[in-house]
Amino acid sequence: MKSLNMQSMAKSVTARVVRLWVLGLAVASALTALPVMPAAAHGERSQQAFLRMRTLNWYDVNWSKTELNVNDEMELTGKVHVFSGWPQAVARPGESFLNVGEPGPVLIRKSAFVGEVPVPRTFSMDVGKDYEYKIVLKARRQGRYHVHVQINVKDGGPIVGPGQWITIKGDMKDFTNPVTLLQGSTIDLETYGITWTYIYHFFWMAAATAWILYWFMTKGIIVRYWQVKAGMGRELIGQDEKRIGAITLAVVLLAVLVFYAAANREFPRTLPMQAGLLTGISPIDEPRSTVAVQFRGGSYTVPGRELRIRVKVTNNGKEPIRLGEFTSAGLRFLNPDVFTTRPDFPDYLLAERGLSVSDPNPVAPGEARDMEVIVQDARFDIERLSDLAYDTDSQFGGLLFFFSPSGERQRVEIGGPVIPKFQVGATL
Amino acid sequence: MSASTQTGSPVGKTWKSKEEFLGCVILTDWILLVILFAVLLGSFHIHYPLLAGDWDFWIDFKDRRMWPTVAPIVAMCFAAASQSFFWTRFRLPIGATTVVLALLVGEWINRYDNFWGWTFFPINLVFPSALIPMGFWLDIVLMISGSWLVTALVGGLGWGLLFYPINWPVLAQYHQAAEIDGVLLTLADLIGFNYVRTGTPEYIRMVERGTLRTFGKDVVPVAAFFSGFISMLVYFLWWNMGKWFSTTKYLEIEEV
Repeated sequence: MKSLNMQSMAKSVTARVVRLWVLGLAVASALTALPVMPAAAHGERSQQAFLRMRTLNWYDVNWSKTELNVNDEMELTGKVHVFSGWPQAVARPGESFLNVGEPGPVLIRKSAFVGEVPVPRTFSMDVGKDYEYKIVLKARRQGRYHVHVQINVKDGGPIVGPGQWITIKGDMKDFTNPVTLLQGSTIDLETYGITWTYIYHFFWMAAATAWILYWFMTKGIIVRYWQVKAGMGRELIGQDEKRIGAITLAVVLLAVLVFYAAANREFPRTLPMQAGLLTGISPIDEPRSTVAVQFRGGSYTVPGRELRIRVKVTNNGKEPIRLGEFTSAGLRFLNPDVFTTRPDFPDYLLAERGLSVSDPNPVAPGEARDMEVIVQDARFDIERLSDLAYDTDSQFGGLLFFFSPSGERQRVEIGGPVIPKFQVGATL
Repeated sequence: MSASTQTGSPVGKTWKSKEEFLGCVILTDWILLVILFAVLLGSFHIHYPLLAGDWDFWIDFKDRRMWPTVAPIVAMCFAAASQSFFWTRFRLPIGATTVVLALLVGEWINRYDNFWGWTFFPINLVFPSALIPMGFWLDIVLMISGSWLVTALVGGLGWGLLFYPINWPVLAQYHQAAEIDGVLLTLADLIGFNYVRTGTPEYIRMVERGTLRTFGKDVVPVAAFFSGFISMLVYFLWWNMGKWFSTTKYLEIEEV
C-alpha cells in the first residue's frame, strides 16, 4: 500500500515537473522570437542636471569621420573646461580617465592624449582649467553606433560628453589590431593567445571531468551514501584508491611544473602590468579673457523650457563683442544674430536659435553693461536639464562665448543659483 | 558503473527484480550528478564573480599582488563546502574538483556568450582564472589524509601557493612589453586600453597597490603564502558551512 502511494506520488510529481518544463520551454522560445532593438544611448540623460552642467563643460568637440569601414581610423577631438564651481557632492577630478562612451568595443581606442601627453592611464586635472584631448579610434564592428567622449572621475562617476552617430561598414571578421612588441615582432592583438588559452583551460577541464567520472563510475552516489550511512565509509577509500590519488596528484603537479617552465622558456622577458597616476599635464595655454561676466541672478521657467540669467558684461578688450553661444552639458545654444551658418554638430544637441539677449547691440570696448540672457529650447527639456529644479543643488553652470568682428572668440565661465518658476509668464 | 546491493535492497517489494532496482539506482545517480553540477555551477557562479569580480573578469586586473591574494581565498569557500558534502556523505574525493569545474564551465559560457557574443570583448581580455589543478590538490590531500584538519592546513596552503603558477602559462604571453606612443605597456595593459570599457575606467584597477614593498619584484610568493594562510581559515569555516547545510532537514515536510 505504502509503495503504491509512493508510486502514484512519484507519477504525479513527474507529470507536474514535465508540464512545468514544457511551459518554461514554450515561454523561453516565445521570448527569443520577440524583436530586439539595439540600445540607442547610454543613459547620459539620466545623470543629474547639475552634475552635467557644473563638472565638465565640453566644447569644440569634433568627430573626424561619421562613416568608416572596418579597420579605418578616426579622431575624436575637443576641449573640456573643468568647472570652477565643481559641486561639493561630486569628487574632484584628481584621478580621471579619458574614455569613450560606446556600446562595447565597436571602435577600439588606439591612442589617447590630453594636451600632448599620452593617457592610457589615469591622470589628474585641476579645477578651473581647460584641457585639449584627442582619441584615435579604429572601427571594429559593423553597425551604427552612438559614440561619446567621456571622462570618468574617481568617486564621481562617468561624465558623458556629446555623442555622434557613427556608421561602420564591412565585417568584424576582417578586423586586425597589429601591435609591435618591444622585442621586435608584430602580433595581432585581436586574436593573440586565444587558441592557447582555450587549449590550456579545456585540457584541465577535460582532466577534471575524467577524475569526476572515474569516481562516479566506480560506485556512484547512492550506493556510497548507503555504505557511509552503514558505517562502512572507510572501506570506500582503501590503499588502492589512495595510490591512484597519489599518482594523479603527482601527474597534475608535474604538468603544472612543465607548463610553468615552458611559459618561462617561451617568454623569458616579461614585465609587471604598468599603472600609476599621470600628474602635471599642462592645461590649454591661452591668453586671459578680456571679457568679465558677473552673474546677478537667474530663473528657470519649467513649463517654458527657458533659462533667464542676469549678467553684467565688462569688455576690457579692444574690439566690440557680442554673445554668440551658451554651452552646457554638451548642448549648444546659439545666437542666430551671431551664427549665420549652422556649425557641424549633432542635431539633438544643437539649438540654432536657442540663445538671445535683452540688448543685441555689441558691448563696446571699455563698456560694462547689464543684460539678460535668455536660453530657450525644447532640447533643454529633452536632455533633462529642466530637472535642475529638482536637484538638491539648483545651480546651473556653463560657458558663454563672445565674438568680436575680427572673429576672435572669448570664453567665460558662468554659473550660479537659479530660482525655478513653475508658471508660464513669471518674470525674474 | 557498478552498484552493490550489499546494504540491502527492497527487491520484491517495490522493484520486480534486482536489475530493475540497480537500473533505477544508476539512473538516479546520473540525475543527481547533473542536478548537483547545475546547482554548484549556479551558486558558485553567483558567489565567485561577486567576490572576485573584476580580478577574474579582466586580464588587466590580474596583477602580482591583489589577484593571487583575493581569487584563491574567495574560491576556497565553495571548494571546502563542497568537499564537506561529497566526503562526509559519500566518501567521494571530488568535491573541490567538481565545484571548480562547475565554476569554470559557467564562467566560460558567460565569457563566450555574454562578454564576446553580446558585447564583443575579445576572449584574451576576459578569460577566467584557471583553478582546476587546485581542486585536484585539495581533493587528493583530503583523500590521502582522510582528515579535514590536515586538508585545511596542507590543502589550504597549497591552494594559495598553486594559484599563480597554474595561471602563468596563459598569462605570461600577455606580460610581454610594447611601446605605445612612448609609453611602456604590457599586452595586458594594452588590451584593456584598446578595447573600450565605458564603465571600467583605468583607476579602478588595483595593480600592486599596498604597502608590501620589502620584497621588491618578488611579491607573488608573499601574496601566495598570505592567500594560502587565509585559505586555511576560510576552509575551517566553510567546511562546517557545508556540513551544516548538507542535510535535508530544512526541507522535511510532515505530509511527505
